[in-house]
Amino acid sequence: MAQQTERIFVLPGDQINPSVIPSHPKRPLKLGPGLRHIPPSELLPTVAGQLVTDYKKNSIWVEYNGGRYIPAVGDLVIGTVARSVVDYYYVTLSDYTSNAALPQLAFEMATKKTRPQLNPGALVYARVTLANRHMDPELECVSATSGKAEGLGPLNGGMLYDISLGMARRLLMRKSVEEGKVVVLEELGSAGLAFETAVGRNGKMWVNSESTKTVLLVGRAVQETDEKNLDAEQQKKLVRKLVKEMS
Amino acid sequence: MTVTTEPEALLSYLQKADGSATFSYAGYTVIGAVNGPIEVQRRDELPEEAAVDVIVRPAAGVGGTRERHLESLIQSTLRQIILVNNFPRTLIQVVLQVTVAPENDYANAKVAQANLNLPILPALLQTAVLSLLSAALPLRATLASTALAILPEHGDRRIISSPTGRQIEQSQSFHVFAFTSHDELILAESEGSFSMKEWDDALAAAQGTCYPPTTTGDTDVLMDDDKLVGSDLKHFTRSTMEQKTASDLYWK
Repeated sequence: MAQQTERIFVLPGDQINPSVIPSHPKRPLKLGPGLRHIPPSELLPTVAGQLVTDYKKNSIWVEYNGGRYIPAVGDLVIGTVARSVVDYYYVTLSDYTSNAALPQLAFEMATKKTRPQLNPGALVYARVTLANRHMDPELECVSATSGKAEGLGPLNGGMLYDISLGMARRLLMRKSVEEGKVVVLEELGSAGLAFETAVGRNGKMWVNSESTKTVLLVGRAVQETDEKNLDAEQQKKLVRKLVKEMS
Repeated sequence: MTVTTEPEALLSYLQKADGSATFSYAGYTVIGAVNGPIEVQRRDELPEEAAVDVIVRPAAGVGGTRERHLESLIQSTLRQIILVNNFPRTLIQVVLQVTVAPENDYANAKVAQANLNLPILPALLQTAVLSLLSAALPLRATLASTALAILPEHGDRRIISSPTGRQIEQSQSFHVFAFTSHDELILAESEGSFSMKEWDDALAAAQGTCYPPTTTGDTDVLMDDDKLVGSDLKHFTRSTMEQKTASDLYWK
């Protein structure tokens, strides 16, 4: 990520200084969340947050935390199966919103005869394939190109935790330790705990382990990191404290 | 009667709501909660835009016609600043609970019941905007709102911004204005008797309170810190949100 010399804070409708908008001779400018383009050339923020630019990728977006999850294509999400109809499962991504559709054949190795049986309440880890303001979102649990699950599919056992959207974004970063500054999972792992997690961009985290104690401990550690805005040092301290309490 | 003239706010502290804010100003304290975009009832559904639902709850008792009137004013104002076209066939719900309202010892409560309740409108609007910002709903612009009273004084008139209950009682006319951050007038409500000239003066005074002309059109980086006064709601909204963003993005 490009180094920022100063933090630029924007409110909805603020003017963006044209000098901070990256310009690349060949690549088109990419607009991320929180920005609105009014043709021909006006660029306005729509949320309050920090304006972030990446000159290498020629992109600009507003970084913020909070609010409700709004589906976007390519997002990895954890959904709860609400009901099943002939060819689809209807999956809840967040409370009080319309359900997303997950085709029953969008699983690895699924055919008309062998398809996964999911009951209402089951959890799935899925990718958003269609997100459009006029239509309900659609999901898949298989890569359309390779036909492999790539880690997606039903989540069996474990427990689901709610986290903030910002925390989910940090956990999903490719370099979550360096860029997202979350070391809590790495610390828990190096403390000798065995567990697996899945993070949904819709503010959900699923934790599973052989021991129930570990599941609770991991979930609590991440939730506390999220709520109390702990930095790397404090996260390490928290993990040490929790592990000591458990043993 | 003590009146806090310094605005105060607390953001995103309700766990279950998508966005929330408590705002105290001029003796009023209002809790705001925003949920959205969520599923809408079929009969309220709009095919091309989000339905905005505003619920105002008074400090005591249940809401009546006064609250319904305030709701309709706030609803039509917020609809214009929320980008409702981004979420067709959904609902954006704004709940505003008044927790503290200044008591007016001089007025008979029963008579006051029948009156309009315009003095509370700026506090409600400001709370709604802070809650919307906290819910990260896409907005066209932010807004700031203020109340003014025109009092007779030695044969002349005096304009008082954020008047107390007693001053409103004595006033000839009372006005509420709201402006977007692009300096456009978005809401103007008045009661009492006044001339066009007085209304113009009140408008200019309100503009001065909400958006001082010295800093309009700035590019948000170069701000004159000497101009940061408590009653300047534009800077208040900005500094409140700036603090929240800084604490949310502490890891950056």
